[in-house]
Amino acid sequence: MIRPPFLTLPLVAALGAACLWTIAALAALPAAQWVLPVAGPQDLSPEQILFAFGLMPRAVIALLIGALLGLSGALMQAVLRNPLADPTTLGVASGAQLALVCATLLWPNMLALGPGPVALVGGGLAALIVMALGARRGFAPVTVTIAGMLVGMLASAISTALTLGQGHYLLSLVIWNGGALSQDSWHGVTRLTVVLVLGAAGAALLVRPLVVLSLGGATAKALGAQVGAIRVAALALAVFVSAMVSAEVGLVGFVGLAAPALARRLGARSVAQVLLAAPLAGALLLWLVDSALLALAAFGLPELPTGALTGLIGGPLLIALLPRLRNIVPPEAERNDTLPPRAPHPWRRVALLACAAVAFAVLSLFGTRGPEGWGVISGAIAASFVPLRATAILAAAAAGALLALSGAALQRVTANPMAAPEVLGVTGGAALGYAATLFLLPAPSPLALALGSSGGAAATLIILSAYAARSNMAPARLLLAGLAIGAFASALLAAIMASGDPRAWSLLGWLAGSATRVTVAGAMALAAMAVAALGAALLLSRWFDILPLGSGVAQGLGVPLGTVRLAVVLAAGLATGAASVLVGPVSFVGLMAPHIARSLGLLRPAPFLAASWCLGALLMSLAAFGARTASYPYDLPLGLFATLIGTPWLFIALLGRRHA
Amino acid sequence: MTLFTLENVCFDVPKRRLVDHLSLAIKPGITALVGRNGSGKSTLLKMLAAQTRPSAGTIQYGGQDLRDWKPRDFARDLAFLPQVTPPTEGLWLEELVALGRYPWRGALGRLGPEDRFMIDTAIAQCGLEHKRGQMVDTMSGGEKQRSWIAMMLAQGARSLLLDEPISALDVAHQIDVLGLLRETVNAGALSAVVVLHDVNMAVRFCDHVIALDAGRVALEGAAHSLLDPDALQRIYGLPMQVIDTKPSPVVHPI
Repeated sequence: MIRPPFLTLPLVAALGAACLWTIAALAALPAAQWVLPVAGPQDLSPEQILFAFGLMPRAVIALLIGALLGLSGALMQAVLRNPLADPTTLGVASGAQLALVCATLLWPNMLALGPGPVALVGGGLAALIVMALGARRGFAPVTVTIAGMLVGMLASAISTALTLGQGHYLLSLVIWNGGALSQDSWHGVTRLTVVLVLGAAGAALLVRPLVVLSLGGATAKALGAQVGAIRVAALALAVFVSAMVSAEVGLVGFVGLAAPALARRLGARSVAQVLLAAPLAGALLLWLVDSALLALAAFGLPELPTGALTGLIGGPLLIALLPRLRNIVPPEAERNDTLPPRAPHPWRRVALLACAAVAFAVLSLFGTRGPEGWGVISGAIAASFVPLRATAILAAAAAGALLALSGAALQRVTANPMAAPEVLGVTGGAALGYAATLFLLPAPSPLALALGSSGGAAATLIILSAYAARSNMAPARLLLAGLAIGAFASALLAAIMASGDPRAWSLLGWLAGSATRVTVAGAMALAAMAVAALGAALLLSRWFDILPLGSGVAQGLGVPLGTVRLAVVLAAGLATGAASVLVGPVSFVGLMAPHIARSLGLLRPAPFLAASWCLGALLMSLAAFGARTASYPYDLPLGLFATLIGTPWLFIALLGRRHA
Repeated sequence: MTLFTLENVCFDVPKRRLVDHLSLAIKPGITALVGRNGSGKSTLLKMLAAQTRPSAGTIQYGGQDLRDWKPRDFARDLAFLPQVTPPTEGLWLEELVALGRYPWRGALGRLGPEDRFMIDTAIAQCGLEHKRGQMVDTMSGGEKQRSWIAMMLAQGARSLLLDEPISALDVAHQIDVLGLLRETVNAGALSAVVVLHDVNMAVRFCDHVIALDAGRVALEGAAHSLLDPDALQRIYGLPMQVIDTKPSPVVHPI
């Protein structure tokens, strides 16, 4: 069992949390007036009501939520045999959030039964998609985590779009997104206690089957266990528990990741021990964090949502956990991908794609949707409109090409078809740089903002490269480190949004991306960069032939591996930073275009890179055209439109049948 | 003349020393590295291939310290085959073998007639002429291993380092791959260092043997010196017998 010395740390944490909470409580109300919430509110002063129905339930709810998230994370990690699984990394929390945003906006009647069922549906759907993606690769931990974080990013992107579309109506949702634990009654506590009792009972029933499952699917089957049924039951329980938490307080990130890790660190080894210790660790952790925030607020600091702060802990934690992965990743499971047949004349296909991109750009330059419907722009209007429009189209196409080329290059370097600039956290870093410029300068110019976001992207890359150099650039770890940085950035952004500052809205607008504000010089620079990048990539295509064969072969052939990988990652990062100034941080073009190129049978590096480049330009100009015309006369955000048209395709491609 | 000279080479991972003060001279010809799992064979081979650096001590190759070799010059002189050959997404055999010319042409140089000649010779030597346009990933295990060896030959290197090249093959393909290695080494006056698990294969195809136990040398000498029950007991910690039979004696655990 857990040895006594390891009880010291939890005791210290509990004591610390209690002290901090007491400080906050004393600042709100002198100890002499403290009351228990048994008396009716009519007998109490307003301060006493705040204490008995605000502060006290808040402490209890922090403990409950920590315990529930710890339980949920421990269950997910046990089922998937993946120490990186938790409601945040598997996209369940974001799925629940998206469902709630949708319901609030589109079908308010559905909330009649409370947010619980809606959150459960959203979280469950997200989990289903992630599991379907993971099943194709034998539930390999890295793949499942990447798929989960992609689903999570997509869900948050759509939530952002909806939030943006409805403006101030959803301000409360934005705050909810940040995971605020403030309470005004004991109802939340009652509801979550019921969930905890149900969850604990379910987990108790599942302990023995999960122990058998921890030996691996094949062994468990040989021992006569119903592997499928156990997995479904345990995951369903974990999703239920985390969706209920989401419904109650919103996104509280990474507690489900941290709690089991802490439990193991403190000596819990077997599945049963972790399932028991993780909820306790989670409860203490969240109470400590929340009490610290309360105490800080009592001293006049701004009140931050607790969930955003746990997100800040989560990113670094994910990186710290990565070295544990080495022994449990079955190498074969990470790559059982089969490929489409190779195209017989790859360059013909590339030429066709290039023609399509040019033709579409011309079409969207002159084609238009006006008050009288669809038509061709002409006459005097054309003279004034075409230059403006050409600038926007050129910028969008160049940004798309840059993102796609970065994605294609990163996929070759990491030998992982899930690699993309969005996944590497570069766009998250760019967003932080943009936010920092926005808040630090009184009235930032577009150039300052562009420099700010490129600086953010570059800083992300420097951190990433420093980390990656230490672990010898192992591709899977690089991806996960990137995801961790992305998670860190989005947690920080959520905190900024929740601050309610008016500048947050300008940030939200940029996050969605727009090509209409770009200058002629900016568009030309971006286009020049795209052409130069393509030239360099084609010139060096032999590297992209050797790098996917892994470090052993590459080093054996005398490729200066460290330098080459660093150069490619840095170039991809700069390109992404420049492009995301225009289209916002999430577009998935960098992931989609290379996938389409592969499915067209363009497997050799040179045609693959060139085709990805063309497809990126085509996809983004398609998105620009759609964003301009879909809801005429209003422009929709560009990056968001690209995400919305591209992602369904991406899921079909990832889920669809592979060529045998 | 020696191929490699090792002086006091150590390799440490946290809390464990995998290779312990090795001082060795590896001679030209085919050298087999044998020993139990975890005895440090693969680590030693990776250090010889400059894939990892020793924690202490020096390794000389061709009279020059490994640290002083430039990566591409080294790759022109020495080819390395990892234990697990990576998947080759969409590569044809011919294209895989052509990658062996990288050390000579770099990222930008065009392949000339000399390179074509090397590629064709390597493919012919490995008996794969009829497979030139086939995807390597769709080949059988034996053919795949031959394709990788063809890539090493196209490198034009004097020394070949192979990490358990036959561990995933059936017995016919084991003989096939090691026979190919023996032939090419003889034909081109090359040298090879091969990690092997099968003592009988080592005796049959190799000239020299180095046996490791817990990172130290347990036996060093001609390949047939393995045909000694005492030496085998030292290496594998298991009583073994040497059965004298035709055409050559075989080793078998009791």
